[in-house]
Amino acid sequence: MTSLLSLRGIGMSYGAVTALRDVNLDIAAGEVVALCGDNGAGKSSLVKILAGAQAPTAGTIMLDDTNERFRDPQDALRKGIATIYQDLAVAPRLSIWQNVFLGSELTRPPFGLLDKRRMAEMSRGFLARLAVDIADMETPVERLSGGQRQAVAICRALRWDARIIIMDEPTAALGVKETAQVLDLIRRLHAEKHTVILVSHAMQDVVAVADRVVILRGGRKVEDRPVAGLTAGDLAAMIMQRAA
Amino acid sequence: MIRRTLARYGTALAGVALFAFFALGSPVFLTPDNIALILKETAFLGILAIGFTLALVTAEIDLSIAEVASLAAVVTGALVHGGTNPWIAVGAGLVVGTLCGAANGVAVTVLNVPSLIATLGVAAIAKGFSFMLTQGVAFVGRWPASFTNLARGTLLGVPNLIWWLAGVGFAAWLLVKWTRLGAHLVATGEADEAARLAGIRTRSMKRLALTLAGACAGLTAVLLASSLSSAAPAMANDHFLYAIAAVLLGMSMFEPGRPNIPGTLFAAFTLKVLGNGLVLLGAEYYWQDIVLGTIILVSVALSATGTGKAPFVKKLNFRR
Ligand SMILES: Nc1ncnc2c1ncn2[C@@H]1O[C@H](COP(=O)(O)OP(=O)(O)OP(=O)(O)O)[C@@H](O)[C@H]1O
Ligand SMILES: [Mg+2]
Repeated sequence: MTSLLSLRGIGMSYGAVTALRDVNLDIAAGEVVALCGDNGAGKSSLVKILAGAQAPTAGTIMLDDTNERFRDPQDALRKGIATIYQDLAVAPRLSIWQNVFLGSELTRPPFGLLDKRRMAEMSRGFLARLAVDIADMETPVERLSGGQRQAVAICRALRWDARIIIMDEPTAALGVKETAQVLDLIRRLHAEKHTVILVSHAMQDVVAVADRVVILRGGRKVEDRPVAGLTAGDLAAMIMQRAA
Repeated sequence: MIRRTLARYGTALAGVALFAFFALGSPVFLTPDNIALILKETAFLGILAIGFTLALVTAEIDLSIAEVASLAAVVTGALVHGGTNPWIAVGAGLVVGTLCGAANGVAVTVLNVPSLIATLGVAAIAKGFSFMLTQGVAFVGRWPASFTNLARGTLLGVPNLIWWLAGVGFAAWLLVKWTRLGAHLVATGEADEAARLAGIRTRSMKRLALTLAGACAGLTAVLLASSLSSAAPAMANDHFLYAIAAVLLGMSMFEPGRPNIPGTLFAAFTLKVLGNGLVLLGAEYYWQDIVLGTIILVSVALSATGTGKAPFVKKLNFRR
């Protein structure tokens, strides 16, 4: 099997604290992989490494079987990895299209002025792909529901044609209905053959959308298996298990 | 719908009503000379306030604009007075303003001093230098026409000052609303962290905005000196509160809750109408300050409670 993303011997230490040790992970194109683990297990540390927000203190990252090193989040984004952070993803008072194209606005010749119409149209297109129905692309994001906001953040990843979309706790702050909506978004991404890495504490979400689950404990990978056949209860038990 | 329109244009309409009120109340108010006078006065205020607006777009507050303008005016005045080529004097004034703005930018983004404090510091330094250069007196004289024409001349029958205001206003509006750079300035002010994660260099944006505020102060200074044929320390101080009031009042119109260029310009004009009208109607001078202070309080109250708190208001709570 050729993998889109491979991690070999990834380690991360913050001074005396070791957050990750010798993590190996292969992710194939089009997979939805859930990253689980108890508090402090190292999930966020791993996400930050993949997002280009920090460099690992050990190990290598390979994209399409070539070694990669991300200088910063922009670099990772350009190489096709988009990360959606839980609350810092959007500018609340800016419009939908402004958020989708945040930092990567489109311009139009001859004067190089902003092409607002095209950005609004494209945003509408991205939302349609996610089956999210919002009439006015000028709507400030703060007036959207939590689920719609996640959709806007995902649209930014689509705008970059990201191959790998990492979502850090996308449903943590959401109600039942909105959670269902976000899970639906993930299914759509799956259907479009995007690769998704989902960090979640909600086992029922993992069971609902993930192909595979990776469990970290104390910075080590302790499980890596297909989700099929597992229940939320099984997963919770795996995470809680003490001695490895 | 009506509510939305009122939120957008309510205070602007109040400005129009004020204009009508003075037009009816004073026979002099609507004369072309008086209107031209108001517009020229608006030019100094407007350009200074545009600088403040740009800084506020990135959620930084520049309290140094008036002192910086005074210093730039004094430098320009000293050079013109000493017989230097007026163009060099003008360039020097602009450079001084820009450098002071850059100093604010460095203090805020490199030294991490909150802009409220940093710009007060730069203001004090600028003030000190103004007095040092002039030794407390003013430069006054018969300065070359090529210099005084900058502000006093006309082009196509329209006073140059109005052209300056229109030019700077248009450029600032274009920058903020229609360029990528402007979008990044806005994003920086609206959501610092989200903008940074999206790859926007937020510190550079803040530095740029504060530098532009200084440049606007420099231009205001040159025009003031040119218009008055004189330069003295503290000469721009009268414009300080007016400029802040213009920006804050401007935030209550067109794009409620956001610093915006059309709002600033319209509010600057309204404030000058108010000042002019009060004088024409024979109100004592101190009423201007009382009204001005009230406008500042009410405007900020509006942006603190209106649709979505403006980021700078949150910041003023010092919960950084
Ligand atoms: N910047 C940092 N400096 C020092 N230690 C850190 C830093 N970031 C994380 N750690 C430590 O690394 C370990 C792993 O943290 P991490 O945030 O990756 O866990 P997590 O699985 O995301 O946990 P949670 O479920 O609570 O978000 C923890 O012991 C944490 O205290
Ligand atoms: Mg975490």
